Amino acid sequence: MADEKNNINRRSFLKNAGVIIGGGAIGAAGMTMRPEMAQAANAVKSVPKTVTQFRCPLCSKNFNSFAELKTHFKGDHPDQVMPTTTKLNINGEDCEVLIEPHWTLQRALQFKLGLTGAKQMCNRGACGSCTVIMDGRAILSCTTLAVECEGKSIQTVEGIAADPKWRPLIDSYCKWDAMQCGYCTPGFLVSAKALLDKKANPTEDDCKQALAGNICSCGTYHRHPTAIMEAAPTIKGGA
Amino acid sequence: MADLTVNGDRKEFRVVGKPNLPGELSWAVATGVAKFGADYVIPDMVEAKFMRSPYAHAKIKSYNLKKALAVPGVVDIVTYDDPEIKKFMRPGGLGGKPSPFITDTAHEENGIVGFIAVAENEDICEEVLRQIEVEWEELPNITDIKKGKEAGAPVIRPEDRAGVSSPFGGPPAPPKKGNVAISNQNQGDVEQGFKEADYVIEYDLNMPAYASASPNPHGSVAWWFDDPYLGRDNIHIEGAVWHASGGKNAIAQLYGLTPEKTVQEGLFQGGKYCDWTIRESQQITPFLSKRVGRPVRCINERKDTFDYMVSQRFMHLKVGFKKNGLITAFDDYSIADGGTPGNSFFGTSGDQGYGPYIGTKCKNIRQNMDIVDSNRGLMAFSSQFCPFNWDAITMAYHAIAEKLGKDPIDIARINLHGPDGQDDNRPVPSFDACIEAGKKLMNWKWHKNGAKRLKDGRLHGAGFRYQMCPRHSMGTDFHAVLEFRDGVVRLPIQGPHAGVFSVEGVAMIAAEELGINFEDIKIDYDPNAIFVSISGGADGLVNTGWVLKQCAHKLRAQIFEAAIAEADKPAFGGFGGGFGGFGRKMPPNPLKGKKPEDLDIIEGKIVLKSDTSKGVPLKSVRANLYATFSGCAPSPLWPAKYDLINTLYCEVAVDEETGEVEVLRYEAAVDSGKVIRRTSLESQLDQVAYNSQGCQLLEDYFYDPKTGVKLNHNYIEYKKAGMLDVTDVKEPELIETRAGNGVYGANGISHSMANTHLIVCAIYNAIGKWVDPPATPDKILQALGKA
Repeated sequence: MADEKNNINRRSFLKNAGVIIGGGAIGAAGMTMRPEMAQAANAVKSVPKTVTQFRCPLCSKNFNSFAELKTHFKGDHPDQVMPTTTKLNINGEDCEVLIEPHWTLQRALQFKLGLTGAKQMCNRGACGSCTVIMDGRAILSCTTLAVECEGKSIQTVEGIAADPKWRPLIDSYCKWDAMQCGYCTPGFLVSAKALLDKKANPTEDDCKQALAGNICSCGTYHRHPTAIMEAAPTIKGGA
Repeated sequence: MADLTVNGDRKEFRVVGKPNLPGELSWAVATGVAKFGADYVIPDMVEAKFMRSPYAHAKIKSYNLKKALAVPGVVDIVTYDDPEIKKFMRPGGLGGKPSPFITDTAHEENGIVGFIAVAENEDICEEVLRQIEVEWEELPNITDIKKGKEAGAPVIRPEDRAGVSSPFGGPPAPPKKGNVAISNQNQGDVEQGFKEADYVIEYDLNMPAYASASPNPHGSVAWWFDDPYLGRDNIHIEGAVWHASGGKNAIAQLYGLTPEKTVQEGLFQGGKYCDWTIRESQQITPFLSKRVGRPVRCINERKDTFDYMVSQRFMHLKVGFKKNGLITAFDDYSIADGGTPGNSFFGTSGDQGYGPYIGTKCKNIRQNMDIVDSNRGLMAFSSQFCPFNWDAITMAYHAIAEKLGKDPIDIARINLHGPDGQDDNRPVPSFDACIEAGKKLMNWKWHKNGAKRLKDGRLHGAGFRYQMCPRHSMGTDFHAVLEFRDGVVRLPIQGPHAGVFSVEGVAMIAAEELGINFEDIKIDYDPNAIFVSISGGADGLVNTGWVLKQCAHKLRAQIFEAAIAEADKPAFGGFGGGFGGFGRKMPPNPLKGKKPEDLDIIEGKIVLKSDTSKGVPLKSVRANLYATFSGCAPSPLWPAKYDLINTLYCEVAVDEETGEVEVLRYEAAVDSGKVIRRTSLESQLDQVAYNSQGCQLLEDYFYDPKTGVKLNHNYIEYKKAGMLDVTDVKEPELIETRAGNGVYGANGISHSMANTHLIVCAIYNAIGKWVDPPATPDKILQALGKA
């Protein structure tokens, strides 16, 4: 099987990861995985657990603590909305982010946590590219405020990819070209995982219904049920 | 010696044609680690946004930045009259002349105009733009192109398009009148053709505007850097992805740099099918970064989701034909949306040589086109549909069939000329092969309009269409490189990953020719590599694949020579020994004393042709080798040949009570010449089904007639087909006549199989009325006289 292949030049990926906040090199955690899965695992591990940089979103000044930032804000930007800190649980890990109160979860994931699997596409809850799983339900992170997610368990595509249990699903997606340009693919994959969490062996119709909220501009639609249904029986421990 | 024949003589394929060889970058895509332009977040980065016009057509009379500059977090505001930006010209390109980057005039609602805000984040950018006080002069707008061509219509751009002529040749166009540029191309004697006809039919083909297909927000992140090797002032840009000549190298050119001084690491582009235009948001970031001294990110506004469009077109056709169905004259008049400045020339000038008529025996053709300037929007290139609308003839065949009581497939067959041109009366083997497979696939039994009802009472209709394979990238030289290093074959290639798996396609060809497995080719993605593979299961691959095939032959010859040389003069340790073999007796090398023509490569082993059990592993060859091949497949540019045909079929059910149309089947029998990567071809057909069904049943743009404001910009207001809206191509017949002019006789299929009227033809067959797309229930009921 071609999924045994492991010969891609990863130079670009590694360099890319280097410039992304929260990104980093492939670590020991992924030694037995494909490099991409290891990279996803590393992205999950690299999520900053605490806020270390208290940067003013308006003037870019850095402060050592949230208290100092608040003092600065009250003095220099008295009419502006104060940033806030929010505790999130992402892929099983607790973390804290400094955000503005109106930030969406998608934005917090991308800009503060270095997780780029939840893609910004329509930015209004119509395309499904930003899908994540929150407390077991597939939700749209572009229309969910990050501050509303406190205390909830959020799983992103990176978290799914980092879990070896779900490798058959990812392999099956790759085998069946259930992607073309790939921008929307992570959103589909998260929706697929959410379906499999509920139904271990879905029918084609189940798949279509579950993925009906995801738009693919390349028209890959019917490849997704194929990939999901092929993977389902091989997911260890059942989906 | 390289095999320099067009098609090669390979009969057996080990690698080429296999399905389900996954894409090299598919795991990166699926796991979310693939980074597209919009994904990049750089430390200390600022954001930039363009002002978007609230008017369809307006000019900035004056402005005041005082409040905007006072917004906390503002970093810079670039105005249209800034001396620096005035010197920074946007290059011309596909249909456009070089133009100022931003001007004081907006040509469409939501179009870029006047100002660029740079600020600490996107929200502040938007606030800055809101706080710029602008005094607008609202100008007359045209979003109804039929009204725009009327004599009394306000002239919106007197200077544009005057004397437009086809970049592909054809007669020079007469001067523009009002908003209308004219493109006329005629051949033969149309009036005589109508005199020779036994029947004359007339019909309209109206094509709404469709949203472009790019899912990812276009944009880039850029910064400048110094480097001990590259020197001072280099650009790092992410997001301006296309193959290098159209992406980062175009950025380098824009900024007066050599390509190596512009660095890009990203490999992922997002969907951009026949949209070869680099956006302002991809070009401007280095300019802004230079001004503000920080990395700048500029991503297109996503509240409006779609930026470019496929232009609207109204066609009126008059067709003369004989009793046997042979067409004697085409008279095609169309009104096409000329769009805003920079609109693609495709579909709006001199396209007769590429349209459907040239495929027929009819030599009396008149094609008159009025191209109307508008404030509707911009077409990037050809986008997802064939810009010449081959369905003008699809409709003709169905209308003639109905008139004569004959199968439209038979009408097509009698009209289609032979492979060598209009004087060739031979049948087209590719067409016949597709039809044979398609009829079997569909259990095709044509009936007259309205003559068949399904058991549930709904009317049944069937449609058929054919189209030639466009020749993309033919006539262009490509430069292929293969390396053999450390016993491994390497393919240095640019990428990007654009969704058509073209890199995998050429890697399969290299593996085939070198006698190794696909998995044994190491693909080295490098934006600075010279080789680029354009398109995948589709079109350009037939040329780039052909070039790489020749290159593989050269490398193979070099490997043989090196392997024999090493056998004749074993290095220290000898074959199989290496350093660890010192002092051991080495087995005799079976290649010793042989000639290259005695050798073959089978399953990664160099073997003797005379005894394939004897050989050495390819990996044991120590030489470092480098093979290049420059050129293009020795084939004419489209459309001098008419050798490969693709066919599509559909069946619909129409409910007369509700007006609802259900696509019962949507199938394809296509001749790609030779299948290179089967899953890519199947995926291309998925795209055809998606685009075609969406546009014929769901999609259309709407404008407010008074203000010219587009009313449905985005995924909520504009319906793109979802999982439940598309009837899949379930059983594609992929035919291999090997009659194409690319590698192994391939020619691909192309997304231009995406069409605007196949389902419309099936609806015509069901209800006996033409319904313009999108064929929504209200239109069906109106056609039936029920609404």
